[in-house]
Amino acid sequence: MSELLQLGSVNQRPQPPKREELTLRFSDAAVKELDALRTHYPEEKACVLPGLWIAQREYGGFLDGEALAEVAYRLDRSYAEVEGVATFYSMYNTAHRPGRHKIEVCTCLSCHVNGAYRVWDYLKSKLGVGHGETTADGEFMLEEVECLDACDRAPVIQVGDQYYGPVDDAYMDRLLDELRASPVNTVVQMADSIVAVQVTGPEREAAHR
Amino acid sequence: MSVSLFKDVVKPIATGFGITLKRLSHKKETVFYPEQRREQYPRTRWRHFLTRYESGLERCIGCSLCAGACPARCINVVAAENTDEKRFSPGERYAERYEINMIRCIFCGYCQDACPTGAVVLRKNFELADYKRESFIYTKEMLLESFPGEADAPWVGEYEEVK
Amino acid sequence: MAAVASETVNLVINDVEIAVPKGELIVESVKRLGLEIPIFCYHPRMKPVGMCRMCLVEVGFKQPDGSVRKMPKPQAACTLPAQDNMVIFTDTEMVHRDRKGVLEFLLINHPLDCPICDRGGECPLQNNTLFYGPSTSRFIEVKRHAHKAFPLSKYVTLDLERCIQCGRCVRFTEEISGDSELAFRFRGASMQPSTFELRDFTSKFSGNVIEICPVGALTNREYRFRARPWDLETKPSICLECSNGCATWFDYRVNRLVRVNGRTNEAINEEWTCDRGKFGHEHYNADNRLTVPLIRRGDRLEECDWPTAYAAILSAFGVGGDKVAMLAGSSLSNEGAYLLNRLFHRKFGSANVDYRRTAHTLPPDEAAGNAPTAIADLELKPSILVFGNSPADDIPIIFLRIRKAWFKHGARVVVAHHGETEADSFADVVLRYAPGTDADLAKGLVAARANDAAGVAQAAAACGVDESRIREAAALLGENTAIVTTDSLLNSASGADAFRALRQLGGELNRYALGANDQGFADLGLVPGPDGRGTAAILAGCADGSIESLWLAGADPFAFGDRATVEKALEQVGFVVYQGTHKSEAMGFASVVLPMAEPAEGDGTYVNAERRLQELRAVLSPPGEAKAAWRIGAELALRVGMAKPYFGAKDVAAEIFTQVPAFRGVAFGDRLN
Repeated sequence: MSELLQLGSVNQRPQPPKREELTLRFSDAAVKELDALRTHYPEEKACVLPGLWIAQREYGGFLDGEALAEVAYRLDRSYAEVEGVATFYSMYNTAHRPGRHKIEVCTCLSCHVNGAYRVWDYLKSKLGVGHGETTADGEFMLEEVECLDACDRAPVIQVGDQYYGPVDDAYMDRLLDELRASPVNTVVQMADSIVAVQVTGPEREAAHR
Repeated sequence: MSVSLFKDVVKPIATGFGITLKRLSHKKETVFYPEQRREQYPRTRWRHFLTRYESGLERCIGCSLCAGACPARCINVVAAENTDEKRFSPGERYAERYEINMIRCIFCGYCQDACPTGAVVLRKNFELADYKRESFIYTKEMLLESFPGEADAPWVGEYEEVK
Repeated sequence: MAAVASETVNLVINDVEIAVPKGELIVESVKRLGLEIPIFCYHPRMKPVGMCRMCLVEVGFKQPDGSVRKMPKPQAACTLPAQDNMVIFTDTEMVHRDRKGVLEFLLINHPLDCPICDRGGECPLQNNTLFYGPSTSRFIEVKRHAHKAFPLSKYVTLDLERCIQCGRCVRFTEEISGDSELAFRFRGASMQPSTFELRDFTSKFSGNVIEICPVGALTNREYRFRARPWDLETKPSICLECSNGCATWFDYRVNRLVRVNGRTNEAINEEWTCDRGKFGHEHYNADNRLTVPLIRRGDRLEECDWPTAYAAILSAFGVGGDKVAMLAGSSLSNEGAYLLNRLFHRKFGSANVDYRRTAHTLPPDEAAGNAPTAIADLELKPSILVFGNSPADDIPIIFLRIRKAWFKHGARVVVAHHGETEADSFADVVLRYAPGTDADLAKGLVAARANDAAGVAQAAAACGVDESRIREAAALLGENTAIVTTDSLLNSASGADAFRALRQLGGELNRYALGANDQGFADLGLVPGPDGRGTAAILAGCADGSIESLWLAGADPFAFGDRATVEKALEQVGFVVYQGTHKSEAMGFASVVLPMAEPAEGDGTYVNAERRLQELRAVLSPPGEAKAAWRIGAELALRVGMAKPYFGAKDVAAEIFTQVPAFRGVAFGDRLN
């Protein structure tokens, strides 16, 4: 927020991007998926949320201004409206570039009593980053989240669309090594799996053919 | 009606001079103004001052509440915005012009009551006489104290304050 | 919100029985009894959202046995429609306690910088806190801090700390102006109403959010720290920056205009203003205002008195006939224009008077009756065709009506223009034709209405619009369509033909004027007579020497004419009278300069685009020796012995009412016959 506030001087404010000047980065498959989604709802406004998931996948897990502008362009909404929606929900990464893996540590009641903060502190010292920050190598982003609805596995963490738990320091060491070795970008993968839930099977097949 | 020498002439004169003689022994009420000045009551309201913070910044933020409260409508405030380069008061706003028409002023002190920062105060300096009407419009330069706390020292120069 | 249902329901408000239209919001019903419910987020012209919770009331229902059963919790009056047997309490202990609670909550994060806030003194939050709020707060923690005074655009300052998140500004851009440029970003305490990435707020109606903001979060950058409300004096005025003639309040301090606010006039602007009107009045305070008459001596303009100036003018214009001419500027009042027009026609014997600034003109018989649809009636039209103009630029308040017709009453809108317009966003069909092919498209629409396939094909080929699009558009149009065009269409070479074609389309063809009083000039007959010259011919005449004296009555030919032509004309013509408010380039060519008052500095009447006659009473006094247009005209008339003296603009207006047919029997605020 503070960086955004410094945009421009008093008399020379940055203008909102012109629609014809946008660099559109949606792949053909993404455009087809979005077109398919449009038919699911009575109006295009309802398509903003799934549209943002597609954008999160297409833009490598991070919704910057360009990504929001592209969603607004494709759904014929205003930029501000799309940005307002995206910044409201915490699962859209609008504030920080998340890195390849977003480690979400649940610190709600059950996890807390089972030592979530021990894991949290361990991760913080091991990765050298705090809440909402990304490691310098761009591999991990750490985030403290509210209840993940998996109290049976407390303390639980979420990476991408996978839950891991109960976790402890040794478990985390192992997991971080695995994640570092894996070629997958779990942030993008998660966005993709959410898109996959929204579009029907045949639509998705047609889009990715 | 006859005039009695004693009752109508001598007695009144004697009584009159008697009072004078009696007063001779009393404490003197007159003071040698301006070398001597009478001490005033603590809440005396005379000349206005615009005070400063200890840091030297003006207290006045140009909010015009004094002008709004003034029953004589004798205060005119024009505000402007502080910048980091040119800062007069803490915060965003300061008084670019601040004028009080001392002829109109009734010294009610409502401006002092209304002031949210305690900038405008009425102090004990009552020597406001002047020769021209224009010189009764006190500008910000005249009202603003030159150093913090100036307003509380009533007069400059040497004098003796008497009870 | 105006209730449309005629059905009424009976409810009881604080023991008073009252019948209100069914479905009316309780917050409105309560007003019928003269009661007030404190509100922040509710605005009568926008949809209710119930965000601020300030309007809580207790609600109960009459039971069959006559008792009243209250709901356990208070309800927001702004989202509660009236029903039968409802019992409303606005004055119970519970309501008062709730209001205190809501205000204490809203003030948690609201800074106490009222003394320096521009809204202080006229702030709904301040007022409601004073009347309904708690005297103290239990909140001792640190308040939310954010950037103070962020310049959202060159007109609007955003102070995030002060925002109470009522959403009025966001809803305004969504529902009224339609650009949706503001939205709530982030959430919770850090929620901020702002533009995309806090970029520039480019809306053409951004000034309204300042007025509807119930706190000082959005403030006017031009008015910033200029005055406090109790320093200001206010008079009703009308805005003369364009032809809509919106009702405004002019707030001034020591004869200096400091801001312009919207004034409610349901017939024209409801309560809105456009940015041009709200922020466009800075020229009143400009440094280059003319204050004394000037006369040319050698190569210099020297100060003189009015009689000298008048004498010089009358001797130069004495030649009369075809050798003198006048161009009128758009902000001249009816009175000023009428007197000068009469002076030219009767005394100088010249028909060379014109006000039109468009490149082409319509012949008089086609130009008449150009605005059949009243602005307020646009709202109820089933379909609207915007042809050849961008209404948000040309006629901003009419644009808001067109948008309201679509948003509230579901009107079908067709936009035909060669460029992008704001109206595209809600148009059913957008016809983007090649520039200059207006007439082809108009003919195409007529052909499509007549099912003439060949005609449509021909038009489509000429103007570069799809045949199917033209047919689609034509299908939406009918006898009840309002066609909205402006004089700007006449800047296109085929504009006049386009008008002829549009006339065959059926519906109400409106050609709204562009300049403030252009419509008034048209109705006064400030156009060249049969043997007179129009604007272009006058400039040409000046250049070739056939016109010796030219009178620029508030007109600046550099603003509309081709530069080389105008320069040549002003250089060649022998004598130029520059009657104006400001120094300008054209003044450099003047022989005599007459300083004129701005519209709101003198009395006058004006006719707006929909031919509504409006009266403007002087708000400010003119600077220096400047005089209102009617006074200049009246003094000249007296000097040439044309009339008995006029003692005020009213005397001139009275004469106009008897002499000019269009004005006969019209009251102020009504449309001309």
